[in-house]
Amino acid sequence: MEYGKDNRLDQLLQSYGADRTRWPEAERQRPGMGESEDDARAIDRLLSLASVPDVPDGAAARLMQRIAAEPQGAEIIAFRPRAKPWSIMRYVAALPLAASLALGIYLGAQGSLDFMLPTAVTGEVALGDDVTDELGGVGEADAYAEENLT
Amino acid sequence: MTRDGRNAEDVKDFRQMTDGTLLQAAAARDPAAFAEIVSRYHQPVYRLVWRMTGGSADSEDIAQEAFVRLWRNPAQVREAAALKGWLMRVASNAVIDRSRKPRHSGIDEGPEPPDPTARPDAPLDRAQAARIVDGRLAALPDRQKLALSLVYFEGMTNIDAARVMEVSVEAVESLLARGRRSLKESLSGEWRDLLDGLGTKGR
Repeated sequence: MEYGKDNRLDQLLQSYGADRTRWPEAERQRPGMGESEDDARAIDRLLSLASVPDVPDGAAARLMQRIAAEPQGAEIIAFRPRAKPWSIMRYVAALPLAASLALGIYLGAQGSLDFMLPTAVTGEVALGDDVTDELGGVGEADAYAEENLT
Repeated sequence: MTRDGRNAEDVKDFRQMTDGTLLQAAAARDPAAFAEIVSRYHQPVYRLVWRMTGGSADSEDIAQEAFVRLWRNPAQVREAAALKGWLMRVASNAVIDRSRKPRHSGIDEGPEPPDPTARPDAPLDRAQAARIVDGRLAALPDRQKLALSLVYFEGMTNIDAARVMEVSVEAVESLLARGRRSLKESLSGEWRDLLDGLGTKGR
């Protein structure tokens, strides 16, 4: 882009022409004459010669006819679950699981299955001194200390 | 009933509505609301397409396509206030897409046969001058042509034109300047005849 003394003024003339009503509103009051004002005015006159086409007769009606035949693609279809005639049957699969859980709780409360569990779980280790001695040798600790530390 | 088949009462109601309300109604499949959108913006969209195609016979189809796309999914216009700009963008993109495809010969393409009654030394009349300028405008690069069409012929602000073209305001100004300069250069042979003809022949 070629610029004169006032670069912006020439830029406005070259972009929008000499008719200031076509300029951006904030810049219409810019003082001075651009070097390319005559050129801009001549191009404005050439542009004013261009045709202003009219919409062909019936074009809007033809468009609306096409619209009437055109489905809208963005239709939202609400999700509805399928009706199930055997709805009670959905719980059948859960019955064995529920029965197993109930039996497990009952047997656990009775203690009938304690023999299957490790002693750490039943509390036998904490309650029996003998067991402690057998496992860790704690009962001989005093004798060991007397023999080796004195 | 109006030209496009609407009841006069419907027209009166819809004319009061904003673009946003019309879009909502169109999304609810209200053809009368859509007809109001058509009545507001069909002309500028058609003119834009016509200019960009150099007056092609396809102009009506291309303009129609922009509205059909809107009808199919009105929700794609995110800013209802920018509806006109959205239509202009879709239409201009359609023109540019078509211009990239191989051309088929149409009756409106190619040079016009010379008028046997025309005298070579006679000043150009308004219609002749318009045809020359239209032809040179149509030959401009697409982006320059689009900038000139939006700002000069459709009277959009540089900011709105920049939104339609999805470029900066500075880029629009540059395209306008280049478009005007290219037009002047392409008309350098007829420059004086065109401008002189303006004063000697009626509009």
